[in-house]
Amino acid sequence: MAANYKKVNRGVKLTLWERLYVMEVVRGVTITARHFFRNWVSTFRSYVSGNPAERGIMTIYYPEEKPVVPEAYRGRPMLVRAMDGKEKCVACGLCEVACPAKCISIVGAMRPDGTRYPETYTLDGAVCIFCGLCEEACPEEAIVMTHNYEGLVEYDRRLMLYDKEALLVPEDKLKGRLDYIRRRMYNKCNY
Amino acid sequence: MFDYTYLPSPNLLPSLVEMMLKIIFICTMNMAVFAPVLGWVERKQSALMQDRIGANRAEIFGFTVFGLLHVATDALKLLFKEDFIPRGADRPLHYLAPFIAVVPALVAFAVIPFGGKYMLWGHEANLVIADLNVGMLYIFAVASLSTYGAVIGGWASNNSWSLLGGLRVGAQMLSYEVAMGLTLVGVFMVYGSLQLTTIGMAQENFFHWGIFLQPLGFILFITCALAENKRTPFDIPEAESELIAGYFTEYSGLKFAMFWMSEFLEMVTISAVLVALFFGGWQIPFISHQGLIDAMGHLFGPNFGAIVAMLIHVVVFWVKVISWIVILMLIRWSLPRFRFDQVMRLGWKIVLPLALANIVVTGFILLAVR
Ligand code: SF4
Ligand code: SF4
Repeated sequence: MAANYKKVNRGVKLTLWERLYVMEVVRGVTITARHFFRNWVSTFRSYVSGNPAERGIMTIYYPEEKPVVPEAYRGRPMLVRAMDGKEKCVACGLCEVACPAKCISIVGAMRPDGTRYPETYTLDGAVCIFCGLCEEACPEEAIVMTHNYEGLVEYDRRLMLYDKEALLVPEDKLKGRLDYIRRRMYNKCNY
Repeated sequence: MFDYTYLPSPNLLPSLVEMMLKIIFICTMNMAVFAPVLGWVERKQSALMQDRIGANRAEIFGFTVFGLLHVATDALKLLFKEDFIPRGADRPLHYLAPFIAVVPALVAFAVIPFGGKYMLWGHEANLVIADLNVGMLYIFAVASLSTYGAVIGGWASNNSWSLLGGLRVGAQMLSYEVAMGLTLVGVFMVYGSLQLTTIGMAQENFFHWGIFLQPLGFILFITCALAENKRTPFDIPEAESELIAGYFTEYSGLKFAMFWMSEFLEMVTISAVLVALFFGGWQIPFISHQGLIDAMGHLFGPNFGAIVAMLIHVVVFWVKVISWIVILMLIRWSLPRFRFDQVMRLGWKIVLPLALANIVVTGFILLAVR
């Protein structure tokens, strides 16, 4: 931590050298000039090679280039569809309870073989605050926060009332996130 | 006695053509190249200095040309914007102020040589619009005129912020005008002339460049020049965080653009003066003026050789000017703004005495050397 901070000398009298100002100006301009020329070269190089990573500037040309979000990023919450085509959700209602925004509503039902499934599962995208508590509450890893951060808003709130079909995503598409949950939730520090 | 040598020689037609070409060249360089492009340079350079990308979204058919098209969109936007005049403003003066601000920056260029003298088909071309023997005095006179633009603009707007800005312009310019004149006296003493072409020729030897003969004068002059330019660190007349926009708060549309342009053109003029006085003007280090003409003459024949040498010199001059513009921009985006009392103290208590001392020391050294 300490390495990231530099103690600033405030209220201390400037030395004569600093009070002369001219050389301090040169020093300051050298720093900005270094940034200027370095960014100039790297921007140009990335322009020629077409590789945005070479630009060396944090800014991203957003719609053309997509940011790579970190593993723990919480995007749109979505339901997992198991590989056999059935919902993983068992309609236990824990997410419904855990949700601080109260945006989930579930009606459960039973399949002929006795397993439970949600008959309807409604998630109000206009109300969700992307806290990820549903994901943490779920015992079946059936609802996960995806890395999907685009198209989260509509011009009409009614369009943001997602039903089960809109929320279900095949399991293999969520593999990265599911791995992450398993690593994070079941490692020691969570117990 | 007034010197009439800068008037067209009896050989009228070539002189007239030469004169027109020079005026067109300088006007195009300033109005069509520097004024708009510097807006782009300022944006992009400040962005890169601060690890940003900068304006890059304006496009035509998918081509953004590194954000250069923003200049065109800027011009279009300002062209169609309402030209607002506040109630109670002094309308004629409010109209006049931007013109007073922008014209001096442009006409100051008349005496700055962007090349030497060349013999072309028996006609001597002198690459300066008006070779005045009082060159620098003319620049001082014209540069102080542009102050009126800002002061009048501030007064005519009927706005307290504008008035304060105008007052600050007046105080700042008055202080630094004095110091600026005195900082350059040392240069005039060394070269024995006020004529910029003479000073340019005297800097043929690399070690006779003004920066080596007058290092203190150079630092003082660049300080004063920055203050005259009214940009950060000396931007108290338009201090955004204190006075909204200072003297041009009440301007919009093209008149706003003219104030903006005058700032950029002043920057070009300052860079050109710096180059002409301290960085050898059009001269290339270690290659003498006549030497280059002769060398090119051997290669391309006397006339075309002179033309090639002329082009090389002109390009060298502009390269130096552009480098100085970049440095001035670097300073503008690196330093914080001075407080008003600091500006005044710097002007009267530091720069002015140092300039006087510089004159005395230069005088003694000249006495000792001669
Ligand atoms: S992320 Fe939070 S607010 Fe959104 S559905 Fe899950 S628990 Fe509710
Ligand atoms: S998503 Fe998970 S927590 Fe919510 S009802 Fe289904 S199984 Fe229970």
